Amino acid sequence: MSEDRRDSAMQGSPEPLPHAGSEIDDPQFTDKSYSQGQLVRRRFFRHKGAIAGLAVLLFITLLAFTSIGVGGISGWWDKDYTSTGTVLNGGQPTMGWFYLGEHPFGQDSTGRDYFARVMRGTQVSLIIAFVVGIASTMIGTVIGAVAGYFRGWAESLLMRVTDLFIIIPLLVFAAVLGRIAGDSGIFVFALVLAAVTWTGLARLVRGEVLSLREREFVSAARAIGTGNWRIILRHILPNTVGVIIVATTFAIASAILLETALSYLGFGVQPPDISLGSLISEYQTAFTSRPWLFWFPGIFILAIALSVNFIGDGLRDAFDPRQGKDG
Amino acid sequence: MTTVENTTAQPIDDGTVLSFSGLDVKFNTEFGRVHAVKGISLEVRPGEVLALVGESGSGKSVTSTSALGLLPRNATINGAINVAGNSVDTMTDRALRKMRGDDVAMVFQEPMTALNPVLSVRTQMVEALELHGKAYGKAADARAIELLSMVGIPDPEKRLYQYPHEFSGGQRQRIVIAMALSCDPKVIIADEPTTALDVTVQAEILDLLRSLKDELNTGILLITHSMGVVADMADRVAVMYKGDIVEQGSAREVLTQPKHDYTKRLLDAVPRLGSRGETEPVVQGEGPKALEVNDLVVEYHRQGKEPFRAVDGVSLSVKRGEIVGLVGESGSGKSTIARCALGLIPAASGEVAILGEDITKMRRKPLKALRKRIGVVFQDPASSLNPRLPVGDCIAEPMDVHKIGTSKSRRDKVAELLDAVELPRDVANRYPHELSGGQRQRVSIARALSLDPELLVADEPTSALDVSVQASVLKMFTHLQEQYNFGCLFVSHDLAVIDMLADHVVVLKDGKVVEQGARHQVLADPQEEYTKRLLMAAPVPDPDEQRARRLERYEFMKEIGEEDHGLHLEEAPTREDLMGRSAGGEGKMPPGVSGGN
Amino acid sequence: MTRYILRRLAISFGVLLVGSFLMYILTINSGDPLEDLRQSTANNREVLIEGRIATMGLDNPWYERYWDWLTGVAGCFTGNCDLGTDRSGTDVLSMLGQSASATLRLVTIATFAAIIIGIIVGILTAIRQYSGFDYVVTFLTFLFFSLPVFWAAVLLKEYGAIRFNDWIADPQISPLQAVIAGVVLGFILQGVMGGPMKRRLFTAGSTAAFAIIALLYFTYVGWWRSPALGPVIVILVSLAFAVGLTALISGLGNRKVLYSTLATVGVGSVLYFALAPVLEEPNWWLLFGLLASAVVVGLVAGYFLGGYSRGQAMGLAAVTAVFMAGMTFVDHLVYAWGGFLELKSRPISTIGASTPNFQGDFWETTLDWGTQLILPSILLTLVSVATYSRYTRSSMLETMNQDYVRTARSKGLSERTVITKHAFRNALIPITTIVALDFAALIGGAVITETVFGWRGMGAMFREGLANVDPDPVMAFFLVTGTAAVIMNLLADLAYATLDPRIRR
Repeated sequence: MSEDRRDSAMQGSPEPLPHAGSEIDDPQFTDKSYSQGQLVRRRFFRHKGAIAGLAVLLFITLLAFTSIGVGGISGWWDKDYTSTGTVLNGGQPTMGWFYLGEHPFGQDSTGRDYFARVMRGTQVSLIIAFVVGIASTMIGTVIGAVAGYFRGWAESLLMRVTDLFIIIPLLVFAAVLGRIAGDSGIFVFALVLAAVTWTGLARLVRGEVLSLREREFVSAARAIGTGNWRIILRHILPNTVGVIIVATTFAIASAILLETALSYLGFGVQPPDISLGSLISEYQTAFTSRPWLFWFPGIFILAIALSVNFIGDGLRDAFDPRQGKDG
Repeated sequence: MTTVENTTAQPIDDGTVLSFSGLDVKFNTEFGRVHAVKGISLEVRPGEVLALVGESGSGKSVTSTSALGLLPRNATINGAINVAGNSVDTMTDRALRKMRGDDVAMVFQEPMTALNPVLSVRTQMVEALELHGKAYGKAADARAIELLSMVGIPDPEKRLYQYPHEFSGGQRQRIVIAMALSCDPKVIIADEPTTALDVTVQAEILDLLRSLKDELNTGILLITHSMGVVADMADRVAVMYKGDIVEQGSAREVLTQPKHDYTKRLLDAVPRLGSRGETEPVVQGEGPKALEVNDLVVEYHRQGKEPFRAVDGVSLSVKRGEIVGLVGESGSGKSTIARCALGLIPAASGEVAILGEDITKMRRKPLKALRKRIGVVFQDPASSLNPRLPVGDCIAEPMDVHKIGTSKSRRDKVAELLDAVELPRDVANRYPHELSGGQRQRVSIARALSLDPELLVADEPTSALDVSVQASVLKMFTHLQEQYNFGCLFVSHDLAVIDMLADHVVVLKDGKVVEQGARHQVLADPQEEYTKRLLMAAPVPDPDEQRARRLERYEFMKEIGEEDHGLHLEEAPTREDLMGRSAGGEGKMPPGVSGGN
Repeated sequence: MTRYILRRLAISFGVLLVGSFLMYILTINSGDPLEDLRQSTANNREVLIEGRIATMGLDNPWYERYWDWLTGVAGCFTGNCDLGTDRSGTDVLSMLGQSASATLRLVTIATFAAIIIGIIVGILTAIRQYSGFDYVVTFLTFLFFSLPVFWAAVLLKEYGAIRFNDWIADPQISPLQAVIAGVVLGFILQGVMGGPMKRRLFTAGSTAAFAIIALLYFTYVGWWRSPALGPVIVILVSLAFAVGLTALISGLGNRKVLYSTLATVGVGSVLYFALAPVLEEPNWWLLFGLLASAVVVGLVAGYFLGGYSRGQAMGLAAVTAVFMAGMTFVDHLVYAWGGFLELKSRPISTIGASTPNFQGDFWETTLDWGTQLILPSILLTLVSVATYSRYTRSSMLETMNQDYVRTARSKGLSERTVITKHAFRNALIPITTIVALDFAALIGGAVITETVFGWRGMGAMFREGLANVDPDPVMAFFLVTGTAAVIMNLLADLAYATLDPRIRR
């Protein structure tokens, strides 16, 4: 076919797909049958970026938690993140292409092993990110579902809170709360952050619920006499799972960026605990003299956020392939 | 794959305005290659209407879209397509664009979304004119106004500057047709142009299209799934099934003496008015009726405006074991009544009594108990079942909600119900997305029957199905009703369907009851003007009969003073006339109307 | 319509009120305002503590303190603004002047740059879906999305500022660097233009060649240190823009529009010379006045030459006029660069919003502002661009699937017209809804950016105020940024109403 013809054909609008099966009411199943879960999984594993992201994330998580251990269980790395010592060779990283050396990420000014510190920071940031992501999802889902289904006060509340967040930036609000809760430990801090990050998800869930409740199977369920909560739990929420999962992954990614930014400003994780953000803030002036102190934590933040975002993108394509390549 | 050199093709003059020769189209999809069109040949001559009939998946839409070169990028096309003698499949990009709108124009199915909502009607009409060099600026405006009055839009000078959302569906379709006409194309491809419209509006639009062929000698390729429309419009017919043309010929031949099995099946499946004859009215013994509605009023509240009365004082009843057909066009309130009867929408005033108990005044608990005795079937197979639940769970849902039976007894009941709706028992483990539309509706019906209901409310249960599927589902439904003997409120816009099923008929318009009575009486001998109009507008699949009906309809319209159909060619004002006076005059019968096929 | 605006304003006011209450209460409870004093070992510790308690009113109950603040703000409506003092007694209102203008400058530029660039990139990637260009842009988008702002800021300081300053002292571009730059540019352009392989290679090749030659030539003549555009370039570029804009929106076949835009360029060329003396030492008011008159020139040209396409001609001519005015502005700036470098040998600074004690003429001062603004603006823009471009892309893709786009194509409209006239406006509608939320995110980003670049802006007021548990500066921050957000929100609502006629009628 001529080049121009193909170009022109390519500009056509996607047609509703001709159905491969027969429409004459034939009780045979000519289509290969796939359950929804299988379809989703298949599409996800075809997304290269998502697989790469998954691999990187798993690697980093395993590295962070197994290297220096956590919560009393010790890891395979021999140094810890608090003990100081003598500074060898100006604290330069000893990592080469094929060996790790004593201090693969170098040392800081007081001789502490930087690898251990970065690992600890990664742990803290990961924990906070996941707790915030999951907690804000739960809060957001409940409020969003109630707002979307029952409307009334829950919806007004959601709208006003959203308006509030248009005026007060998230960072600002979180900073103030972080200042209050900063030294109460990681988990409390994470929950406090969750308390301000649920609005986006709630709005999303509300939108989905609003459109779902007009669908005929919901009307049919109501006509049958199904109670409201049963409808929400059995009919509506299971159909929002895709959207919620995708939103959760993006929430985790933005949580980690939020937490590290707060820690950088001094309103997040407080010493003696470490966050990747606080590490960067501590050593930002050292950039010219001891760049490694600056590079490593930043790269880890970037890597984690990037992989989670790619996983989220893969999940989104898997659940909703409307813009798929094959028409 | 045909390899064609980029030679400038000489226009071939074989008298056709549109022809396909060995057209073959394949798509690459997620599930592999789909062979949509398997080598078909068709031709349309000037002044002729060729109807391309088929159900979903037949490939008819793909065929029509390929004529404009508008197929999506995952399509592989073989074969020759000719428009006005020029070969489409070898055209350059630029030549294709020149052809679109100028030699061939297309009218699509959904008038509500065919026009750009943010651009005025004037912008959209004038751009085609300026693009193909027919008129510019003020001249283009004048021509647009001319076109609008030609297709019957009142007050065109003012309405030209309005936006699409300010017009009704029927009017929007007229505007789309006006746009298609604007550059005097030789052939118009109309893809299901009236499917989304009410039957009375459909009749008007078909009149308009027919006069196009009569007055302007345009060739028309009409894609449709409705045999009635075919009989009303077509000179020649081609029947498509799964990508092949199974039968082709003149309308009279194909519709009255079909040769191919599929065509026969298709024609048999079309419900026909008057086919059932007179039946005994249903007699009910003692006890309350299945459904009794008295003076029902339902209002919708709107911001800053008067509340809108969707249902305005409607009274009807359904006896036990009786099927009552509730007929009306869009906006008549029939769906609202159905939902109200199910307790889904509150009534502003009036009484709705199900099996003797007034649900407008009931508390939740007794209402829930009452719901055990009601079944419901909705319209859209795509959303009538929860996609996350396997079919068996969908059917067992009512039993689950009312806590009836044990796990085993429910399973047995589900199997029994699947037998009743003529589906294999292993469907219970499948998910809705694996079933076809017709199968899903059968599952909906099974669900409705699971608690042996005494009242079943069916809101257009087969409207979204293909004709042949609809026929088998309706047949099954009739058997089930005889078997289970439930009272049924059956809502539909299709009079022929109502004729097949109902014992009693209620005709609605704008929230009020226009006429009601025994089926045979209302449908064979209607008293009210609106009922007559509805009956006359519904096309039948026999060309000669349909022509007679059409002439009857024109007579009737003349009697009641409405003869607004076809192109208003005499009225199309000249450009000088436009300055100052408004368009429109007395309606005159366009000459071509009483002409032959 | 007006009722809608008034209602929105009323709601916004209410939300501001509630927000202020929340912020105040949270801030004063966020920690101990006397913490540093308690830990000090100074002799007059007690006196200092008492002093601070008096200054900050720490003895009063929280509602009294809030009420005091609120009444002080209310005084603003009567011309008697009292925003309180910080903990050392400095009046907050006086602190506001400089810092507010710096922050607002930054945030406004970043917002508009992000919207414009984001939308353009989004549309391009939607049109070129699944091309190499799309993949690269998508990856970059994800990268910027996942970038920690504070970390990137430091990197930008190093490479954007320090290295650039080093380079500008003796600007050399090696042939290798020129080749790399040329190839990258060529790749981008061929991705954007698309087309069959042969044409792409041609686009890439010619762009690369042109870029390489230009870069090497500029280095050779020392253009980097004493550049000039000159009237020739200004006029040529403006002509190209006029032709390009017409080709894009109306099609070159539409002579009326073409003549209008070209005529505008003609008038602009004359004005370029005529206004030169006035532009030696202008001020901002004069410049805005000239911009307005440029728009008028465009409208007039379109009106008289537009013929049957009058409306479109007027609009496009006005846009061309603005562009040409912008080019003239840039020309003067570029011309002043040489003198600027004399005054400030390390042009891109990393600390502060404007160089102290800078004595230069109008253009040099503007350059000074510009070089201060450029790094933080780039940073903030990058973060938002990712959001806008993804959103625009998906909105555009969804619009291109709509029925009316199919109708437009079936009329024979060229792909370009379908995209710019039919799809574009519809795709923009949902974007207005994210503008408001994104603006808030930008303000948050500004706080971080100002910290990194050491600006004494609102962000610093907030951060220090919060760290010191000092409510008044924090509340001043809230007031300014909150009001800016409300205005932005309102603009977005207006844009939505303008774009979508269904709302209006």
